[in-house]
Amino acid sequence: MKDLLLYLLPIVILTVGGFTMMLVDAFQKEEGGLSVPTAMLHFAAAAAALALWSRGGSADDLARAQIAFNGWLAFDRTTLFLDFVIALGGGLASLLAGSYLEEHRLERGEFYTLLTFASTGCMMLAGATDLIMVFIGLETLSLGVYALTGFRRTSARSQEGALKYFLLGSFAAALLLYGSALLYGMTGHTDLAGIREALSRPVDGAAIAGQEGAQQFVAIQQTVRDRVSILAMVMIVAGLAFKVGSVPFHMWVPDAYEGAPTPATAYMAVVVKAAAFGAMLRVLVGVFGDPSGSASLAGGWPGLLAWLAVLSMLVGNLIALAQSSVKRMLAYSSISHGGYILAAFVVTPRAEEMAGGGSIGQGAAAAVLFYLLAYTVSNIGAFGALIAAGRRGKEAVSYEDLAGLGKRHPAAALALSFFVLSLAGMPPTVGFFAKYNVIRSAVEAGYSWLALAVVINSAIGLYYYLRVMVKMYMTDPAPGAVRAEPMDSPGLTLTLIASAAMVLALGLMPQRFYDYALEAVKLSVAPVAAAPAAADAPAAAPSAPSAR
Amino acid sequence: MDSTTAAAAPGHLLSVLIWLPAIAGLFVLFLPRQSPGLLRAFALIVGLFEFGKSLQLLIGSDYARGFRFVENVEWIPSMGIRYHVGVDGLSLWMIILTTFLTPLVLYVSFGSIKARQKEYIAAMLILQSAMIGAFVALDLFLFYVFWELMLVPMYLIIGVFGGPNRVYAAVKFFIYTFAGSIFMLVAIVYMVVTFKELDPSHRYSFDYFDLMRLGFPRWTELALFGAFAVSFAIKVPMFPLHTWLPDAHTEAPTGGSMILAAVMLKLGTYGFMRFAMPFFPGASHMVGPTIAGLACAGILYGAAVAWRQKDFKKLVAYSSVSHLGFVMLGIIARTPAAATGAVLQSVNHGLSTGALFLLVGVIYDRRHTRDLSEFGGLAKVMPKYAVFFILVTMSSIGLPFTNGFVGEFLIITGSFTADLLRIPYHVERSSGPSFVGLGPLYAGLAALGVLFGAIYMLEAVQKVFWGPINNPKNRKLKDLNERELVGLIPLSIMILWIGLRPQDFTKSIEPDVQGWIDQYEQKRQAVTRPLAPRAYLLSESDIRPAPRREARAAQQAH
Repeated sequence: MKDLLLYLLPIVILTVGGFTMMLVDAFQKEEGGLSVPTAMLHFAAAAAALALWSRGGSADDLARAQIAFNGWLAFDRTTLFLDFVIALGGGLASLLAGSYLEEHRLERGEFYTLLTFASTGCMMLAGATDLIMVFIGLETLSLGVYALTGFRRTSARSQEGALKYFLLGSFAAALLLYGSALLYGMTGHTDLAGIREALSRPVDGAAIAGQEGAQQFVAIQQTVRDRVSILAMVMIVAGLAFKVGSVPFHMWVPDAYEGAPTPATAYMAVVVKAAAFGAMLRVLVGVFGDPSGSASLAGGWPGLLAWLAVLSMLVGNLIALAQSSVKRMLAYSSISHGGYILAAFVVTPRAEEMAGGGSIGQGAAAAVLFYLLAYTVSNIGAFGALIAAGRRGKEAVSYEDLAGLGKRHPAAALALSFFVLSLAGMPPTVGFFAKYNVIRSAVEAGYSWLALAVVINSAIGLYYYLRVMVKMYMTDPAPGAVRAEPMDSPGLTLTLIASAAMVLALGLMPQRFYDYALEAVKLSVAPVAAAPAAADAPAAAPSAPSAR
Repeated sequence: MDSTTAAAAPGHLLSVLIWLPAIAGLFVLFLPRQSPGLLRAFALIVGLFEFGKSLQLLIGSDYARGFRFVENVEWIPSMGIRYHVGVDGLSLWMIILTTFLTPLVLYVSFGSIKARQKEYIAAMLILQSAMIGAFVALDLFLFYVFWELMLVPMYLIIGVFGGPNRVYAAVKFFIYTFAGSIFMLVAIVYMVVTFKELDPSHRYSFDYFDLMRLGFPRWTELALFGAFAVSFAIKVPMFPLHTWLPDAHTEAPTGGSMILAAVMLKLGTYGFMRFAMPFFPGASHMVGPTIAGLACAGILYGAAVAWRQKDFKKLVAYSSVSHLGFVMLGIIARTPAAATGAVLQSVNHGLSTGALFLLVGVIYDRRHTRDLSEFGGLAKVMPKYAVFFILVTMSSIGLPFTNGFVGEFLIITGSFTADLLRIPYHVERSSGPSFVGLGPLYAGLAALGVLFGAIYMLEAVQKVFWGPINNPKNRKLKDLNERELVGLIPLSIMILWIGLRPQDFTKSIEPDVQGWIDQYEQKRQAVTRPLAPRAYLLSESDIRPAPRREARAAQQAH
């Protein structure tokens, strides 16, 4: 049992640390000083994930661990990879918070506690193999993030963003819950493997065999089950798509991103996204990506996601073009990046490859994971550089605020250029390799049109990313305008340097981390179903109890 | 003998050439801004050292064939991405042109660029790295990385150091070229994925020689060629896709214009030669007449528009459109003379247009206007300037004894005999070049372009240099200073050298051009299969022609 608990280490570190910080914060006389401990906690969790990764463990071990936790959490390498991304993003975001909150007189201990607990929720969501766990994880992270969004209590925008996020988020959570309930109703299972197993069996007509109209009854039941499971799938996808801010579930994104304190925005953009995409990967591939399941299911969701992907890219990019606020631009660009990631998602299942352990689906899933990592370092960097560009009362929000930054603060301007170029996908940054992976997996799976959509959108996106550089290097501030004053702080500098180093290193030598991502999905996504399904087999109820 | 490693590869010469400027460029950013002398000296030393190093490429290059100085190591193994570089006759002179011009441009720019010299130097050096990298890359991923990497420094050079409308021009330049190249990225990825499916080892490979073995069904080949061609045609720029060029040239600082015209545009024509045409001989042969037609249209259109320009720099910019039409025509014509002429003319255009931009920059620095009507009679106040200007003009319009003559003559005679008649894709002629093609028509149009070129250039010379000095502001103009002379003299020497002894240069171009044509034809024979339903893999012998006897003999004799 002891070594089974070990698998929980990243979550345990964050949870225990979060409670400790709560106490520390309650007893310490002055506010503040929690930024570095929070970052250390996150980095410790990241280190724990790495250690668990290198410790390895057989499939048996992982399955036993999963069973020990009631089949709610998977401890495979996908989880560890996502845990690493989450912890890395959370740690960098809290380092940013240290500088930002102090500068903007918002320094309060709650921020770090909330952030830590939100990370815990993210890790739970990323590892969840049970719909209940998905919901718990989602709510845990949401509560934290709602509060973080509204953290600038004196700012109406912050309040507005938080309220919007909260109301719409509750609605999305309800959708997800409703979808889960439908699946439970049909299958009697909440765990993904059980649901998958039950759905892949044809409707059991033994009880009424021989009676008049039994065949028709079973056929109708089968149809109803297929249709309802599609409905459930759509609802679950909607709930998760809300968290990643895909069009058409993106309405909250710009307001929440703009209103939230910038470190919280960075956190939302990368960490929450990583967790929600992880859950999506598991739910969709784990439940609906089953080749032996009904054809309508296997064929259904890639089409849906393709639409979400194209819409997210296009709408996100087009609206981003029209923004005058950089923060809002980054919000919309994060919508479009969600679209790029979804484009890789579309090709993940290609049912036959998943079943045969082939490489195309895995390559795509690895592309998703790698993109999440790449996006994390680039985006945290971009928000960090934006923080560095402004002081309290003289923040850098709009493009105009950035005018002449290349002269006022060359380092911040260079960093921001570097990160937006990575977001735009220019070589030799990591953004290029991440985007290349998406394109490659789309082409490989025969979705060349989707690859074209991705590259055309990159070209659209380039325009607003370039605008940032245009403002910083090629324009002088308007006379008399309030200038954003750049700030410096050790935490900020450290974050920027660390992110820039990772953006460059991962861009020049992506081999190792791409292999990690590949390994993560190789060992995970496919076999998730096997072990717990066997364990829960006796409990598997006959399908469609409601029809009795 | 494997022609990829035809020559011994001593050391890491190409890696030094690629990476030295980039490292130096990043290093410059950490030098103190307060001591511009140090910055300049450092930049010049790096540039000159780089030039000296690049001359080593010439060792053993006469009559040599195949890639030399090859380096081939793994970069991202699981993706089949390698660091594979090599130089041959198609790229050799482009690299030397790059290394020759960069220190020159830097030195000349120090006169006009006063603010932010540090950033300017860094951008120029990084740009040089990216350009050399793109010229030598034999791995398509590597090539694409360098290809895109070029955009950022040039964007900054135009956008930060350019004229009044610089932001518009810089953004237009960046987005135009980026939008073109992303289609190439998809095409590359498509080829890589296809290679993986077909190759028995099921590995990814971005290697030039691996991808060369791919054959595609007709429409796929056309689509892929189209993706490559659009990307390169924008860079060249070819006729209807040229609209970014006048803006970029007009707004860029003199040094930026020089590098842009002299080297960056050549990457488009080089891309056609190196990648688009050999990869897709069937498609490129099929649409060849169209491309040649566009090239001729570009020659005439560029000349006609240049003729009507009032802005001196725009005139030179449009003359670039016209001159690059010649290069494209020579490449599409694919006869040994025309293709050799095209490679040589790439260098020639780099020298003469680079010099022209420099000369325009000289009067712009003095008068802050480039309006042709503002000038007149300058030959009296600036005699040295007039001498150089007329020499460069002669080169630009292709007068004998200048380099322009050699290049244009080779291209026109070469395309005269070219087989540019539209041939149905799957019906192959018996053998030999066809002399009933439309070659003479294209050659005639191009020759007309030479005439037009003489008209607009001479008219500009007449407006600027002859006649009375009507404008009092022109009376006290200073003649060329030492800095400008140092820039112009090497260029003029090269212009005359190529004009008088072209064989010094063509002897290292011709063998590889011949090899290029042989390989193209070899692969074209192999892929011209009626209705191949799926992509297929060609064997080595389908794409690698046997070395010609005379080439081998020449090599041995040497």
